[in-house]
Amino acid sequence: MPLIPIIMPQLGESIAEATVVSISVKVGDQVQADQDVMEVETNKAVMGVTSPCPGHIKELLVEVQQSYAVGAILGYLDVSVEDATRMGFDELAPAANTENGGSAPHQQTAPTSKKAVQPTVGGLPVPAHATGAGYMSPRMKARMHDLGLSAADLSGVAGSGAAGRVTIEDFEKFLAQLEQQKITPASSMRVAVADSMRRSWSRPLATVALPVNIDPLLTHRKATDPKPGPALYALRALAIALGENSAPAGRLIGGRIVHPPAIDVGFAVEAEDGVLVPVLRNVDKVKLKDLTVRYNELVDLARQRRLPPSATGGSIATVTNFGTFGLTWATPIPLPEQTLVLGMGAGRIVPSWDKNLKQFVPVTEANLTVSFDHRVLDGGGAGRLLARIAALLAVPGDL
Amino acid sequence: MSITYLEAIREAQAKALADDPRVYIYGQDVGDFGGAFKATKNLAKEFPGRVIDAPISEDAIIGSAIGAAIEGMRPIIEMQYADFSTAGFNQIVNHAATLHWRTQVPCPITIRLPSGGTAGSGPFHSQSMEALYATYPGLIVMTPATVEDAYSMLLEAVAIDDPVIFCEHKYLYYHLKAESLPTEAMPTGKARIARAGRDVTIVAYSAMVHEALAMAEELATEGTEVEVVDLRSIKPLDTDTVLASVARTGRLLAVGEAWPWGGVTAEVVARVATEGFALLDAPPQRLNAKDTPVPFHPNLWGTHRPTARSIAAAVRKLLSY
Amino acid sequence: MVQKTITSPIKAVKTDNKQDAYIKAFRWMLLARISEEKYASLYRGGKIFGGVFVGKGQEALSVSLGVSLRKGDVFAPLIRDQAARLAFGETLLDATRTYLGSRLGPMRGRDGNVHRGRPLDGYLPMISHLGAMIPAVSGVLFARKLQGTTGTVGATCIGDGGTSTGAFHEGLNLAAVEKLPLVLVVANNQYAYSTPTSKQFVCADLVDKAIGYGVAGHSVDGTDLAACLEVVGNAVEQARQGHGPQLVVASILRLAGHGEHDDAHYIDERLKQSSMGQDCLKLAENFLLEQAWANSTDIELWRNDAMQQIEEAVAIAQREPAPDPDTEDWCALATRHLSDGFIE
Repeated sequence: MPLIPIIMPQLGESIAEATVVSISVKVGDQVQADQDVMEVETNKAVMGVTSPCPGHIKELLVEVQQSYAVGAILGYLDVSVEDATRMGFDELAPAANTENGGSAPHQQTAPTSKKAVQPTVGGLPVPAHATGAGYMSPRMKARMHDLGLSAADLSGVAGSGAAGRVTIEDFEKFLAQLEQQKITPASSMRVAVADSMRRSWSRPLATVALPVNIDPLLTHRKATDPKPGPALYALRALAIALGENSAPAGRLIGGRIVHPPAIDVGFAVEAEDGVLVPVLRNVDKVKLKDLTVRYNELVDLARQRRLPPSATGGSIATVTNFGTFGLTWATPIPLPEQTLVLGMGAGRIVPSWDKNLKQFVPVTEANLTVSFDHRVLDGGGAGRLLARIAALLAVPGDL
Repeated sequence: MSITYLEAIREAQAKALADDPRVYIYGQDVGDFGGAFKATKNLAKEFPGRVIDAPISEDAIIGSAIGAAIEGMRPIIEMQYADFSTAGFNQIVNHAATLHWRTQVPCPITIRLPSGGTAGSGPFHSQSMEALYATYPGLIVMTPATVEDAYSMLLEAVAIDDPVIFCEHKYLYYHLKAESLPTEAMPTGKARIARAGRDVTIVAYSAMVHEALAMAEELATEGTEVEVVDLRSIKPLDTDTVLASVARTGRLLAVGEAWPWGGVTAEVVARVATEGFALLDAPPQRLNAKDTPVPFHPNLWGTHRPTARSIAAAVRKLLSY
Repeated sequence: MVQKTITSPIKAVKTDNKQDAYIKAFRWMLLARISEEKYASLYRGGKIFGGVFVGKGQEALSVSLGVSLRKGDVFAPLIRDQAARLAFGETLLDATRTYLGSRLGPMRGRDGNVHRGRPLDGYLPMISHLGAMIPAVSGVLFARKLQGTTGTVGATCIGDGGTSTGAFHEGLNLAAVEKLPLVLVVANNQYAYSTPTSKQFVCADLVDKAIGYGVAGHSVDGTDLAACLEVVGNAVEQARQGHGPQLVVASILRLAGHGEHDDAHYIDERLKQSSMGQDCLKLAENFLLEQAWANSTDIELWRNDAMQQIEEAVAIAQREPAPDPDTEDWCALATRHLSDGFIE
């Protein structure tokens, strides 16, 4: 026989609960419709709770002098099927509920707790000043988004707004003026490199340099076949040094240094109007002579722009030989996901003071530079890294 | 021939009485006396038995209008001052405004509120109450700023099947004149570009539209072109026109003669900030009356509400952002 | 022009036969009492949202107004007028649907319990602010005056507490000034919620206010059905003949709480024991038996018939759907194109 609940009624507008003061029936009792089965008290009155239809008391869930919320189930009534249907209880299980007039107001059925909606963002940081050169209004941002621009693109725009803010008028004037000048499309490579460099630059970068005598390297190279590129010597030396202490190539995320998982090192290859960075894996564990063939292969593939995905990405540092352009000094920008880039300048024959001979002797000298994220590395650490590399390059046969 | 804002209101009522036998006018002193501001002058004579004097009972005046509307009439109720409508507030917001929603029977009453301040009118003869009524669902709130709108919007108010709160501005009654009455009009719900501009959007209504236009002329000599939007009705509020204007200028100043908390200007700013965030080059601003009752002395009253001068200052500040 | 639709025929009760009139009135009272007992029980069974307000003790006065009104009159019932409503033509199903929150009721779930009516059928749904319906009914009569309609009356009821409101004063005064055919029935049941009349007014008798407003005043013992039928019937007739507003003041005792959430423990025991505290329904039943206008079998039959009617109405309404928030038309204006699209 179906069971229907006896429910705590809403006894007045602001009432939320009531106390049972007496129960006039017991389990098993037969009751009629509208018969008082218990009395409850609110702060306004003592009221009777009635049975909704004829039946017999199946269960009583309450105790005298205890309070129960409006809508709480006070007990169950065993009723006939036709009464249950007439009352609108389609489900015959206990705690059944309906959507029509048969349901009780404010009903709490099974203990389903309401899930509070958790905000996904715990409060957005408020900029210290919503004015000033760095501030971009919502309208600016919307326009820049439409045009695919970033803040770096606006570096040439003078702001006429408060504290040098670039206003939308300044911006539109700037764009209008641009339209009057010669414009050629930028390749996707160019745009990608631009984005990469912009993102990298958001860190405080610094460079230190060490002039290194590369005669041992040049001599070794002459006597080796196939010839390793000069950059490959530097790359192998870097890898050995990082293999000994990987911290300089670690990344600072939050308050922690994330150490590189493997000493995979990339090297810059100029391709079309941009730069590609093929990667040699686990270079700390592979001797120089075993790297040459693969290195040359990768250089060719890069120049042809046919590098497979497995040969790019995942490197923890990069080497760039800017000396091939005749440059003696440069401050390359590390890749945005890396902390440092090792640079190698062009070799020049310069006079070097020989203490033994007490005179100047010609040596081939090249600048080695380390450009690095100054949050991770200081001048000292960078200097020690360079010193180690220089020492390794002095004995190229051991690389 | 020129016609004042007040005369336009009178002409509209005359036309309503003439065109529709269901229309009648009810309020204090509206009969032979012609109304405290003469808005119904001669109408009692012209339309005998249809322009009726009421006792000082705003609750009953409006309550009876509701009953009459249920019975098929289309009453125009004149409150002597907007400020006194609070004595009938219950019937307006709890009865007239809820009738259709509760019963599907419309309540086509028009309640005219002489609103706004003039020098020396003091706290109880100066109020702008449009926001109060706009808060309640079921009401339409009109705030005509021109002679033409005073005429055509009042006619439309009578024709609309819902309760209309018609906020006519007392200062404009005799200060605003037009050449002639319009033959056609913008529909209620559409705002008007009172002055096209480029550098900043001012959203205003009623008398403040004229203050904004006055200062716009001054700023034009400085090279700033201000766009002025006249809302015409504040409920419904033509958000599309406001957003289109801010799309052109990127800057918003909402101006109102009413008090700051939660008023029409707050509603305009809220809508532009939520729906038109990407249109804003500067934070949206608003300018309202001071947060005190309306003062009596003209010196105080002159500063209490926005003026051409204070609006210009707000615009300059907004432009310097 | 707002179209009127008449949904249920209203029984015209103008009859010279006092016995028939009495019996008819008695049966409406019985139906009112029994249906309200059912609502109260449903309320205590947790089946009704909001409140239940019954007119126990007031049925004789209330039904007298209902049977004196005719089709074409306008009526704004208040909270204890179940008997008058039924007699005037409101269906039990309308009342039951409104209480149970059925979407098919006249208020469609947008208002509930005693806030119900069908304006185009001549009975206005009240708003909670007491006194407000007096100007509203007066407005209907005012419109009829402007339209040149005669022969109809407007009626509304109010309690002793409601006479303190500004709206009562303004409404009655305006009706008097315009000499409208308004019948204002004041059921002085001695209490406004828990407030006794000693805290409500100090004039000797509420009917004295009629002098103040310049209208006719009538007093009646609200427990006596025959007296009510005569006095209220006469007041309605006076209004109908064009003698201006009629103020009827009846003395009774509220025999229930203010609402079913209130147990009325504050009611003075002496009042309960006095003649004013007698149950008008019981007195009417006794009268019928004494006059031999009916016997106990008749009365039992009528009682069962009433119970059956309310059970039927409840059974129907309970099966009906409640309003659905997702398909609900959330627009408060009749002029839909003026709905502000930017409001959620």
